Amino acid sequence: MSKKIEDILAQCIEDVKAGRSSIRDCLDKYPSMRKQLEPLLRIALEIQEPPDIKPSPAFKVRARVQLMEQIHAGQSVTKWPWSRYINQMKPILYRKRFSMIATIVAVVLAVSALGGGAAYASQGSLPGDVLYPVKLGTEQARLVVTPSDLSKAELHLTFANRRVEEMVALAEEGQSEKVNMAVNGYDRAIGMAIGKIDEARGKGLDAANISELVAVATSNHLSVLDRVMDIMTIVPVPEEAIDAISHATEVSINGYKNALIGLAGENPVRAMEINLAAMEGRLNRARVKAENNDIEAMEAALAQFQALNEFGEEISAIARRLGKDTVALDELLAKATAIHLDILAEVYEKVLEQAREAIEKAIAASGLGPPDDVGPPDDVGPPDDVGPPGDVGPPDDAGPPEELPIPGGDGFRR
Amino acid sequence: MHKEGHAETKSGDDSQLVAKAISRDPEAFGRLYDMYVDRVYRHVYYRVGNVADAEDLTQQVFLKAWQAIDRYKKMASPFLAWLMTISHNLVVDFYRTRKERTYLEAEVMVADSASSPERIAEARFEQQRLRRAILQLRGDEQQVVLLRFIEGFQFKEIASLLNKSEGATRVILHRSLVKLRHILEREKD
Repeated sequence: MSKKIEDILAQCIEDVKAGRSSIRDCLDKYPSMRKQLEPLLRIALEIQEPPDIKPSPAFKVRARVQLMEQIHAGQSVTKWPWSRYINQMKPILYRKRFSMIATIVAVVLAVSALGGGAAYASQGSLPGDVLYPVKLGTEQARLVVTPSDLSKAELHLTFANRRVEEMVALAEEGQSEKVNMAVNGYDRAIGMAIGKIDEARGKGLDAANISELVAVATSNHLSVLDRVMDIMTIVPVPEEAIDAISHATEVSINGYKNALIGLAGENPVRAMEINLAAMEGRLNRARVKAENNDIEAMEAALAQFQALNEFGEEISAIARRLGKDTVALDELLAKATAIHLDILAEVYEKVLEQAREAIEKAIAASGLGPPDDVGPPDDVGPPDDVGPPGDVGPPDDAGPPEELPIPGGDGFRR
Repeated sequence: MHKEGHAETKSGDDSQLVAKAISRDPEAFGRLYDMYVDRVYRHVYYRVGNVADAEDLTQQVFLKAWQAIDRYKKMASPFLAWLMTISHNLVVDFYRTRKERTYLEAEVMVADSASSPERIAEARFEQQRLRRAILQLRGDEQQVVLLRFIEGFQFKEIASLLNKSEGATRVILHRSLVKLRHILEREKD
């Protein structure tokens, strides 16, 4: 029986794509079908894979955190089959960790007493609300039933995100006096996330991914906390609330550095990318503050930029110590420095003479040499080996629409 | 750029993670997300042609996959191919709810291995024509063409996904190419 055209076509496509034959070979083999076969074969071979379009790193991290949050939220304790729940508890019973069992029992009892919807309703509650303890209780229960250190770290990070969202909501609703509870929760969640990452690493597990998540998230938190602070400076709030947000900012920076140091040991290039993007975030804040003539805030942002710049040197040092290839790091640094200098030049233009000293220091920190070398903005250009600003693109693996991931991007916009 | 049969090698690597994810292990599913988010995004982007919708749909693909992962158990196709099917269904749904078809005009990027700017522009134009034609095919036809030529899956894997025989899948491919030819010729006229 003669072969059908669909089989011949499929075979010819396979053979030509695999380089086993040419279009002509194929057509010569089936001369009677040549007329039908040729145009179809040409169309099939013309369809090309698109180039390696990739989502932006910022999207990937944000989507992952949201996905995990939705997954964990879907595994509400009230919906879990009891057999599975009891199985999860076995090792806990064995270790006699009664406090955790007590937490679960308390939460289950509370949820039963308040009705199944209470746990769900509590998810939108804020510190000071009646249902807020239920929200915290369900979080604890989720932690108890989460098996590994890495999953726990991710869950703590999810809770840290929630605490930051609560701080924003409280500030926006004019309830800043209640922010302290959210800040304490944030401090605890970030500390626990870092602790669990360390534990996992101690057990020889690959923690690069979660370290990256924590670094990007805390960098986002820093921008969101700036916003909270901005709101608080518009509306008079108790001194304690300002102190609390300052403390949250410190926690965020420490969490960020801890996570990045961990990541630098495993993937220094990615660690450097994140740090450079965070530096750019600080510069953008400085630019906005310069535009608003808020010199104090601009100087604070520039000081943070310099601190992050120094931290970048630590990342490079870790990479060198571990014998990693530092060429990619140097290239990244050169590109980012050009971008940073452009922004600094813009800021320089916008501020009055007396505020320029802070910018000159930041320019010096960017690696252009002592401030004396730097003239007015027009003289501030990229290093010779770096192309014009328009050529400064994203890292090679980033897809459209690409830019260096800007952690301050859109983390928790409400 | 991925190679032919890429999906098969990948599926070998991911089998343990997939097994854990089926037993509702979020961490394992997170690792699968890390492995495949780029491929799913690329596939969706090709079909919707803009970043905002591609991001939104990519997120939905993984959430749906987690919700329906029990159903993957019985399938012989690679996990990535299954994700592609979820992507396909979501994209079809996405277009069902919108009337405008501006996505057809979205720019197709081409690898700039071409020798000159003129050649790159020409290649881009050709790929744009082809993409526009492919997106006019019927659901299963479009899926077979995309999975075979854009994603590099084998007929056996595509057949398993579509719940059809390999022979039937080849028939769909043949029919799709004939239609593509007509669409392209009509466009020329």
